[in-house]
Formats: sequence, C-alpha cells, structure tokens
Amino acid sequence: MREHAPSILVATLSAAFGVSLLQVTGALATMISSAPGMSESGMVAFMLSLVGGVFIVIAVYVGAIVTANTFATIIAGRTRTIALMRLIGATASSQRRAVAREGLLVGVAGSVLGFVVGTAVTFALISLAVATDFVPDLAYGYLPPVIALPLLAVVLTTWLASWIGSRRVLDVSPIQATGGAQEMRHEVVAGRRGRNATAITLIAIGLGLLALGIVAGFATPLGVLPGLVGGILSFSGLVLGAPFFLPPALRLVGKALGRGAASRLAAENAMRYPERSSRTMIGLVIGVTLVTTFAVAAGSYQEILTQARLAEPEVYAGTEQLVTVTVGVFSALLGFSALIAAVGMVNNLSLSVLQRTRELGLLRALGFTNSQLRVMVVAESAQLTVAAVLVGLALGTFYGWAGAQSLLGSMYGGPGLIVPVLPLWLIGTVVAAAALLTVAASITPTRRATRISPVVASAVD
Amino acid sequence: MEISPGDIGLVARVTQLTKSYGGGSTMVTALDDVSVGIRRGQFTAIMGPSGSGKSTLMHIMAGLDASTSGRVWIGDTEITSLGDTELTKLRRRRVGFVFQSFNLVPTLDVEGNILLPFELDGRVPTAEERVWIDHLIDTLGLRPRLRHRPHELSGGQQQRVAIVRALGSRPDLVFADEPTGNLDSRTGREVLTLLATAASAYGQSIAMVTHDPVAASFAERIVFLADGRIVEDRGRSTAAEISQFMLGMEGVL
Repeated sequence: MREHAPSILVATLSAAFGVSLLQVTGALATMISSAPGMSESGMVAFMLSLVGGVFIVIAVYVGAIVTANTFATIIAGRTRTIALMRLIGATASSQRRAVAREGLLVGVAGSVLGFVVGTAVTFALISLAVATDFVPDLAYGYLPPVIALPLLAVVLTTWLASWIGSRRVLDVSPIQATGGAQEMRHEVVAGRRGRNATAITLIAIGLGLLALGIVAGFATPLGVLPGLVGGILSFSGLVLGAPFFLPPALRLVGKALGRGAASRLAAENAMRYPERSSRTMIGLVIGVTLVTTFAVAAGSYQEILTQARLAEPEVYAGTEQLVTVTVGVFSALLGFSALIAAVGMVNNLSLSVLQRTRELGLLRALGFTNSQLRVMVVAESAQLTVAAVLVGLALGTFYGWAGAQSLLGSMYGGPGLIVPVLPLWLIGTVVAAAALLTVAASITPTRRATRISPVVASAVD
Repeated sequence: MEISPGDIGLVARVTQLTKSYGGGSTMVTALDDVSVGIRRGQFTAIMGPSGSGKSTLMHIMAGLDASTSGRVWIGDTEITSLGDTELTKLRRRRVGFVFQSFNLVPTLDVEGNILLPFELDGRVPTAEERVWIDHLIDTLGLRPRLRHRPHELSGGQQQRVAIVRALGSRPDLVFADEPTGNLDSRTGREVLTLLATAASAYGQSIAMVTHDPVAASFAERIVFLADGRIVEDRGRSTAAEISQFMLGMEGVL
C-alpha cells in the first residue's frame, strides 16, 4: 500500500486538476454570459470550453505517463519478489494482471479523492475571487455532469498506465530470485531499434500535425485540434525515446557540475542507468514543459489580445479583465502539474538510493564521510533537475507557441503570426521551484543514504 | 601508564571486546571478551566457521562497526570513542579494504577506483605515492586495463584492482574479508600469493577473514574463533593441519 502512495497522489492530482478545471471553466462561462456588452461572448465561451477540454486531455495524459513511470519504478524494485513468485510457479501474465488490478484500485481511490480535493480547491478559489470583488457574485454550479468524464478518464488511464508500466514483469526470469536485478545500460538502450523507430515515427507524425495545425490556425481556431493531436503524438514519442534522448542532456549538465569525488560520482551515477534516470527526469520534464506551454500560450494570448485591441478597440472592449482572470487561473492550475512532477521525482530518487545500498556502503567503508555522501545525492538531484528544467523550457516554449498560433492565428484583428512570449516571471519561478525541488527531492534519499552502515559493503548476497 | 600498541609491534589491537545484538531473551553475543593484537608487517588470518564472530571482529577492528564494550586501537590511535567523521577519515587514510565481491565502484574505471581514496581525501597522490601505485599497477598487470569499467573485468582482475587500491595509500593495515570467496581456485591462489607477497616484500600488515583452510595456509599467523571467543592462535600451518584442527574443533564442541 505504501509504495502506491505516490501513484494515488498522482491520480488524485490529475482528477482534481480535471474536476477543478471544468468547474472553473463553467464558472468563467457563467461569468461571461452574464457580462454586459460582450458582443463576442458566444465565440469566447466556445473558445473557453475548447481550451478547457485541451487542458483536461493534457492533465489526464500527464497523470497517465507519471503513473506508468511510477509503476515501472515499483516493478523494478519488486523484481526479486516477482522472480520468487515465478520460481515457485506463478505465470508472468498472472503476475502482471495482479499489478494491473492494483492499478485499477489506485485509479478509483485517486479519482474519488481527486473529486473531493478538486471541488474544494475550486470552491476556495471562487470564494476568494468573489470575496475580493475580483469576479461578480453569481450562482456558480459546482457539479456540472461533465466532471464525470475526467474522473472516469483517470480511473481508466491509471489502469492502462499500470498495465503498460508493468510490462517489465514479463522480462523477470525466475533465476533473478537468486541475484541482484540489473537495469539496461545506455549502449543497450540505444540499440533497441524497434522502440526508437516508433519514437521517431511518432515525433515525425506529431510534428507534421503540429505544422498542419499552425497552418490551419490562420483560418480557424479549430486548427488547435490537429495541433493538440500532434503535440500529444510528438511528446509521446519523446517520452518513449526518453532513455535515448535525455542522457545526452544529462551528460552536458553533469560536465558543468564541477570537480571533486562527490560531484564526479554523482554525474556518473546519473548516467549509469539511462532507463532509471530518464524515469526520474521525465516527470519533471513533463511538468516544466506543461508549465512553460501554459505560460507561453497565455503570454502569447495576452500579446495577441493587446494587439487585437489596438487594431479593433470596439470589438475587444472590456476584455482586459477577462485576460487577467484567464492568466490568473492558468497560473494557479500550473501548480498541479508541478506537484505531479515533484511526486515522481522524489519517488524515483529515493528508489535509486535504496537500490544502491551496497555501493554506498562500500563508499562509506573506503572513506566517504556522511557529508560527502550528502553532497553526492544533492548533486545527483541537481543534475537531474537542471537537465529536466532546460529540456522542459525548450519544449514548452515550442509547444506553447504552436498552441497559441494554431488556436489564435485566425483571431479577428490579430497579427496573424505570433512571436513566442517567454514571460520573465516564468523563468524566475521555474528556477526557484527547481532549486527547491532539488533540495526537497534529496531529503529522503540522503537520510536513507547516511543511515547505511559501512558494514553492508562486506555483506554477501 | 599504559603500553601503547605500537611499542609492542602491534598495528591493531582490541581488548576485552564484546559485541552483542538485541536485548533481553533475544540477545545474541557475537563477540565475547576478545583480546587480540595484529602484528605489524604480518599476514594474519582470522578463521572460524559461519557465525563464529570473525567478520564482526574485523568490522569493529576496521572502524566499520561499534563495539558494545571493550577498547579498539589502530596504530596508536584508540578508535573506540571516535565520532563518525573522524572514523571515516581514519579509514580513508590508514585502513585498506578488500571484500569478497562488490569491491569496486561500478561507475568508475580501474584508475578511478584505484585513486578513489586519494580523491575522497581531496588530494592527488604525491610523486612518491604515484611511483608506488604505478609499480603496483605494472606488477599486477593492470596497465592495459586502466580505462576499463569493473563490469569489463574478470573476478580475479577486479580483486587485483581492489588490492592495488588497498595498498596504494600504504595504510597501516589492510583488511581482507573472504577475498577469494568468489574466485576459482587458481585465481584465488594468485590473489593469496599477492597478499602474502605484499606482507613479506613490502612489510604491509594484512588481516584476512576466511573460512577456507587453503586461504589461511598462506598466512603467517592464524587466529581461530568459535562462538565469539578466540580458541587458538598459531603460526604458519598447512591447509591439512588447519582442516584437521577445524574438524577437531567441530567434533569437540
């Protein structure tokens, strides 16, 4: 049960995200339809629900990827037990079904909790906004029937994610009950042509659809639909090929880490099992990409509206408040994906330290002091965080721009072609959050690592 | 006034050492009032069946584990009351280790592993130390392997790297815990010959924990443990004599 806490947390966050987003979107629509003098309100309400739908798909997708990764991590830690079950006669598929059943339970638990948390958050947000006269006091409905959709989606995707994440169960051989499990090295990973080919194909198709969306965006806001599919496909390709794409980024950052035994070992550690470090990083990459995508899209949206207002002042009168509210809501929702990413990161780093007990014991025996050990874990965490943040910023800027362009390129009175806007507050927040996360993610593993007795170095399997 | 261990030619010493785990009715005594010294420049084997306390004795002597009562010296330094950081630094500078398996840091190449104790100390080997390390590398035939990672080496090669690392900083004492436990008998003999030579030719003090009579026959002195007590302390013996004694010990007990 305890090892599923991170997965339940992730499912809860995804469900809360979806629920809260739909409730807030509903409230925004109520607000807009009641506002006087909104000649374009029909259009704006339609765009809002479109954007809301896009965000929910993204949230559920992120939750699914983080869950699949968490399950893969759990399986890696359980290899010995699974091998023992296989040794005494369990079939691989029955073992995998058992894991998937756990996934279904996790999904249901997360969904229920997410509904409660999400509704509470929405209620708090709107009450606060009403209390501060930021929005008018209207009869906002908290339970539109559509919120059943994200809840159902979370249950199904968590189930599916646990099934996908547990494919490693099939690779566990009974003989592994007798020895330590090994993960693949980078060379092996680079050589897995099938998976890499799939990744590259997905990226190529995704980029094609993104381009189509951008072009179509000049004519209609519906251009965001192929763009969304393209974004999901290309990002899935990146996630699938992460063990191949991320290590080079990690290596670059590792070189910048500095010298000394602790930093050097940290850099080597981060590189040694690309599967594991990619799993640790991918959550954060997704989180930062998402935050950046939202912020860049919102920034670009604001920019376009400003320009459109200059060109057509009558049509866009009174949109200023709407823009402020929308950006505020976006920013508040960003916190969710950052939380999801943090959960994945902390969980994976802890596990990687747990799986290295023997090696840390050896280092202690040879003369690594506890503070050197601490520096090593923090440096490892920093390396993963910095690399993930840089990759996420780059990807997010691109996706955010593509999204804004395909959704708003056709906007009446808009400039047509949009320059991506990377807000300064975003860079500051991301850097600060990354620093905080580096420290937070290394607290548990360092405590574990410094508790390891050097005696375990001489332990015999 | 106490006699310091160094004055009587000892490189490590424990007196009235007791180690117990747990408490109450589940208390297990691993070491029971053990007093013994390791002589400088000698290859000493610590022998005994499983559960005799030989590994625990080594762990406490090497500063890896704390005793329940009794006193422990390495050289003239009493380590009984040292804090974790001082103990770590002492291990780094004055003790070398060779374990049965998992001796090397998997992410570092051979040279990185050999120089790790220096790197941990935040320094590079002096010119004199460098000459010594190069000599060891060449003698043990590791020169062509310096850039290899541990997983690219055979078990015997890995043990040789561990030996170079342990001898490289010229520690007061090298602890070897079942160093041949994972090797085939021919490779095992090579490793044992290396350890014996390090003691006879370079005057390196070595304490080796083993349960293998053949391994113990390479040592100049053999200390036998059973049930947490020292039951015999003898000079160089053949594998046959050692086996004989151990069989007798089992039969009597």
